Amino acid sequence: MNRSVVQALILKDWRLQRLLVMLSLAAGGIALAVLQVRCEMAFFLGSTWFFVSMIVLGCMLPIANVINERKKQNLAFLMSLPVSVLQYAMAKMVSTIGMFLVSWAAFVVAGATFILSRPDIPNGIIPVMLILAALTLIGFCVVAGAALVSESEGCSIAATIVCNSLYGVASYFIIFNPAIHGDLKSPVPVWSPIVLTILAWEIAAIALILGITFYLQSRKRDFI
Amino acid sequence: MTDLAVSLSGVGKKYPFFTLDNIHLQVPQGQIMGLIGPNGAGKSTTIRILMGLVHQDHGEVRVLGHRMPAEQVAAKWNIGFASEDMRLYESKTLEWHMNFIRSIYPQWDVTYAQRLLKRFGLKAEQKIKGLSHGQRVKATLLLVLARRPRLLVLDEPTTGLDPVARREILRELTDVMTDEGRSVLFSSHNTQDVEQISDQITFIDRGRIIDSMDKEVYLDRWRRLRLEAPSGIEVPALPGIIDVQQDGRLAVATANAFAPDLANAYEGTGVRVQCIETMTLEEIFVANVEHSREGVGA
Repeated sequence: MNRSVVQALILKDWRLQRLLVMLSLAAGGIALAVLQVRCEMAFFLGSTWFFVSMIVLGCMLPIANVINERKKQNLAFLMSLPVSVLQYAMAKMVSTIGMFLVSWAAFVVAGATFILSRPDIPNGIIPVMLILAALTLIGFCVVAGAALVSESEGCSIAATIVCNSLYGVASYFIIFNPAIHGDLKSPVPVWSPIVLTILAWEIAAIALILGITFYLQSRKRDFI
Repeated sequence: MTDLAVSLSGVGKKYPFFTLDNIHLQVPQGQIMGLIGPNGAGKSTTIRILMGLVHQDHGEVRVLGHRMPAEQVAAKWNIGFASEDMRLYESKTLEWHMNFIRSIYPQWDVTYAQRLLKRFGLKAEQKIKGLSHGQRVKATLLLVLARRPRLLVLDEPTTGLDPVARREILRELTDVMTDEGRSVLFSSHNTQDVEQISDQITFIDRGRIIDSMDKEVYLDRWRRLRLEAPSGIEVPALPGIIDVQQDGRLAVATANAFAPDLANAYEGTGVRVQCIETMTLEEIFVANVEHSREGVGA
């Protein structure tokens, strides 16, 4: 019976935030259009915009979907419904991550399709693109978890700043890792052991972040 | 099955600057209980505990037979909760909210919701951000009432409302109680509202319940006696008297356990009883709080 309430909460979040998701998809679409222009400048601008669209959605979604509910005092209304704190947290994480995943998957598929369709861009970039995209997913989970557990805009912004700062550092070490860098110009994607290991670590990190979020949420004694 | 809609026993909650201390509170089914207290008395904390939103440090809470907070999901199917600090989604219409609540509660009463819309003068297609404070309170109450809850828990529902809106809401609450199986617990610092609709009254102050009983019993037991004492005689506080204020020969005694023989008892001490006055709930509340604070301070 209570599954229906959790579903209703998830649906409600989708209805409230769909404009934000659609705007980020539109921004990603524009980035892809820029990438179609065959010059170095356009490639640089388009690919930057492409990742920025994903990162901006990753920053804004937890604030809009999690923090604002407390800030705008909607939480008491929701918690008067037949849900427990953990069920609310689950609905919130599923809706927030779900919305991000829709855009994220669209971005990844569009990005990969773009690379595969361009003979002048080596397909060897695809594994690295996937690793970097997964990094944004990890960052998103950190920000969403921080937002849910801390219920504080300040904490969420701090988590966003830390994650965004680490993207650059992590990207550098991944792209310039000798075991990966050599395969970047390969005409076909190379799924080397190091690529698969990094992807496995990224999946494990996401699972760990979600586990910690639910554990901390379950220990809360005062919800409003 | 229990015949108590709400039961709190020995409930406590400690915060750095506030302690809710050993709360015992019972709301029988079919009754309206008014929880009166000054700002910061612990009304909202008590209500949040009984809704399972704040976990008590100790004590037992049962709502509609369910242990709280452990069984809050089962309990909340039959509770309608609205609080003064509760806000709806500003960018959405009232109709959107009605559809949302309707998707959750199978018992949502469409006809009753339409009737409430009309009675409260609300427009379903209007966005929440375009509503006045009074209309927002009415909208929240509509969303709560149309799900036909067995227990209504209202935290300061009439705060900040104009007299007309207050009257409309109180009238609706009274109508709700025509269904005898329904219970209401509502907090307020407005004693007039509580006096108007409550069957039972609980006074809370500084995290402690200072008194709780039937409203009529309250109004019967509390009296103000205007006394005249012979010169140089101090008016005694007889049993049943909680406060005596004397100025020269004239004194005012406040009784919290008034009985007709109290007047005779004063006459017996040589003090003349000029008149015996009934007290309003507000006067009783203030006298009760002051008496309680003196007791704690002593």
